[in-house]
Amino acid sequence: MRTDLGGKVAFVTGAAGAIGSVIARRLAENGAAVVVADINLKGAETVAGGVAGAMACEVDIRNEQSIAAAVARTVERFGRLDILVNNAGVNTLAHRVDIDAFPPAEWDRITGIDLDGLFLMSRHALAPMLAAGRGGRIVNIASVVGLAAMRLQSPFVAAKAGIIHLTRSMALELGPKGIAANAIAPGSVMTELTKQLFYGADGKFAGKTEAFMRHIPLGRPARPEEIAEATLFLSSSAARFINGQTLAVDGGWTAGYMM
Amino acid sequence: MEQTSATIGRMQIDLAGASFARLGVDGPVPAAISAALLANGGRIAPPDEPPRLLIVSYPLLPDGGEMAAPTWREIESAAAAMAPQGGRVILLLSALAAVPMRRHVAYSADMASAAVAMRGLAMQLGPHVLVNAVGCGVVTEAGSLLSGDDQMRGHQAIAGDGRIEDIVDAVLFLCDPLNSYTTGQLLTVDGGWSVGYGRNF
Repeated sequence: MRTDLGGKVAFVTGAAGAIGSVIARRLAENGAAVVVADINLKGAETVAGGVAGAMACEVDIRNEQSIAAAVARTVERFGRLDILVNNAGVNTLAHRVDIDAFPPAEWDRITGIDLDGLFLMSRHALAPMLAAGRGGRIVNIASVVGLAAMRLQSPFVAAKAGIIHLTRSMALELGPKGIAANAIAPGSVMTELTKQLFYGADGKFAGKTEAFMRHIPLGRPARPEEIAEATLFLSSSAARFINGQTLAVDGGWTAGYMM
Repeated sequence: MEQTSATIGRMQIDLAGASFARLGVDGPVPAAISAALLANGGRIAPPDEPPRLLIVSYPLLPDGGEMAAPTWREIESAAAAMAPQGGRVILLLSALAAVPMRRHVAYSADMASAAVAMRGLAMQLGPHVLVNAVGCGVVTEAGSLLSGDDQMRGHQAIAGDGRIEDIVDAVLFLCDPLNSYTTGQLLTVDGGWSVGYGRNF
């Protein structure tokens, strides 16, 4: 799609990563000034270097001081903030275990970034949006595991389900103030990491790839561009009346059981 | 076809000559969708050719009389004919497909049934045909209710009614060749009505 985000400022977290970087680029291609925000400043700078008009910004979404500084830099540079894409998130590969064995410290790390961090980031980003009174958009990147639980990653499942319901709370509270909040639940997305995990000879899940893909009606993982396209739509005025929704961009994975 | 405000959208897609057909009821919303598809590079499918895009319109007003939508067998058969060349099916439903209303039990059931069938069809026809639905909330034009129920406004978070172009743009998004990994989805365009309690008690 093409739309006009000219004059809008978008803040994308986790924007040095495989999906966030593509989201940042897609928003910029449609006219937005983009803040490429990430805990990895060097990575953010590399991405921002390839995105017209973008600013790289370091942000640790677990740390309110870091978030406040990043939002202040955004407003100082661009004078406003219209679109927040909460894309930053983590999961675990090292601890693929049942909940009775799940290390509490790892639980805290994952939920602390994926859910608490998203709340803190949103809280601070909302201040300039609300003060300006021009409305705005929040797009939260959740996951299909927030809709349909999967084994061996309980904090990620819980955090993503939390994001989906938090999005609904945001929609109800912020809608009357002109700010629409929606979520995207990506399914399996092909990045360098997942390519290695699923298709690499020594990949952790290499033997299970075919069985896994049989659960997806489209029979393949998503490309990051396909997640970015949905983000662009939900960030645009074309989605003006869509609020509190979670759009699964999952190739039909959560449509039902493929049996 | 007459150009309406809905054809000059807030977004553009490139349908590159993809053919489309409509099944089901007529009305201002389906008509605006046709106009927008034409304005975005679509063309009307000849009668003897399966379309690349199939728009299936259900009655959007709960009190709109008997369910006049095509039977599911008709939809399934039309969609299956699209499989060899690939395509998209988009059902135009009410947001009551997501949340039933006490005063419209039968209509809610019809809508929910269509939404579940949509998900089944998405699994059946993937990866060749993507099947999705739009769930319309309160939509008005010049004061006339085109979709939903007046009572829905009480729990709708976004102020004001939905407009035809809000529905049209959601349909365009689901038709967009660049949006190629979304299938089996009910996208409600209802200002947040189906999300939860939009007011305090």
